[in-house]
Amino acid sequence: MEFQSRSTPDALEVRLAGRLEFTDHDRLRDIIDALEGAKPRRFVLDLSTLEFIDSAGLGMLLILQEEAEQRNVKMIVSGPQGDVKRSIDLAKIGEIVTIEP
Amino acid sequence: MDTTPSPLRPFCVMRDRIPADMTARVAARFDVSGFDAVDDGSAAAWAEALLVERADRDRLREAFHRNPFLTVELGEGGDEPAALMEDWSGAPAVEPGFYLSLTTGTAYGLQCAVLVCDELTRRGALTAEHRPNVEMCLHEAIANAIVHGNLGISSAAKNQPDGYRVFGQMLRDRLGDPDIKRRRIDIFCRWNASTIAVAVVDQGSGFDSATTASATDGKARSGRGFVFMRALASRVAVTDGGRCTVLHFDV
Repeated sequence: MEFQSRSTPDALEVRLAGRLEFTDHDRLRDIIDALEGAKPRRFVLDLSTLEFIDSAGLGMLLILQEEAEQRNVKMIVSGPQGDVKRSIDLAKIGEIVTIEP
Repeated sequence: MDTTPSPLRPFCVMRDRIPADMTARVAARFDVSGFDAVDDGSAAAWAEALLVERADRDRLREAFHRNPFLTVELGEGGDEPAALMEDWSGAPAVEPGFYLSLTTGTAYGLQCAVLVCDELTRRGALTAEHRPNVEMCLHEAIANAIVHGNLGISSAAKNQPDGYRVFGQMLRDRLGDPDIKRRRIDIFCRWNASTIAVAVVDQGSGFDSATTASATDGKARSGRGFVFMRALASRVAVTDGGRCTVLHFDV
């Protein structure tokens, strides 16, 4: 998985690309470090260019949600497509995380 | 399922550094009288078995294109032919099917499920319609076999403050251990007109399959792999004390 981050006045936007899977725990650490450094009000996780997510990757979304909550930051997952959207729906992640089309 | 033995085909060795006694034993296992040693593109277009000294994605694709029943990465060390023979004894040489044996160090990060689904597609067993389910389930079974099986890391490691950092460090530590890295992941595929069956076997300590979650459990950071497999595969069986996961897909 690759990611790019961008800060706006009130938000940190992180766009994920490729595959988010069990081999990506170190990248998760990098994203949390970016969240820690930016101290935003909102944290937007853009999945529109993510191609695949596995169960470990879904667990990472929940970890990111917890990390955001601990910092009083609102996390929004945006734009999941195709197989990624299907996996998010199957695991009912939308009941826990705010997901925007 | 058609279990008629295939005609004997050449037994090829992809590199010439594989010990002669080992190639002889493998040839005996598959009742093949001789083999061709090859280390370039001049091999026959088909083969009963291929041994690859060190596998990567390109090398495995090249190996698959020779249509082997069996593709085995030997890995570093070269001191394990006896153990390899034990593994292979569980794989009857039937067709249609293929068998891939990789070291954990290679399987980690190789996206084996993509590779195997590409090969199932190439051999005409898997259609685009069924591929997403098969690939997802196979990915989860392989990830479990690598992380919880051969690397011996429990998901419980994630359920603590900074658990993802602990988990990432454990992955690095285990993958840095040559003995652990050499443990094998075996993937055995067979199919007929109505079913694809894939077995994923590891060399870990196993687990009690009765403890796996049967439904998605809210905020849990782990346990969804089996939920996905049970939701997307036609049947899931766990055997050998948790070391073997067999996925069936009605197609």
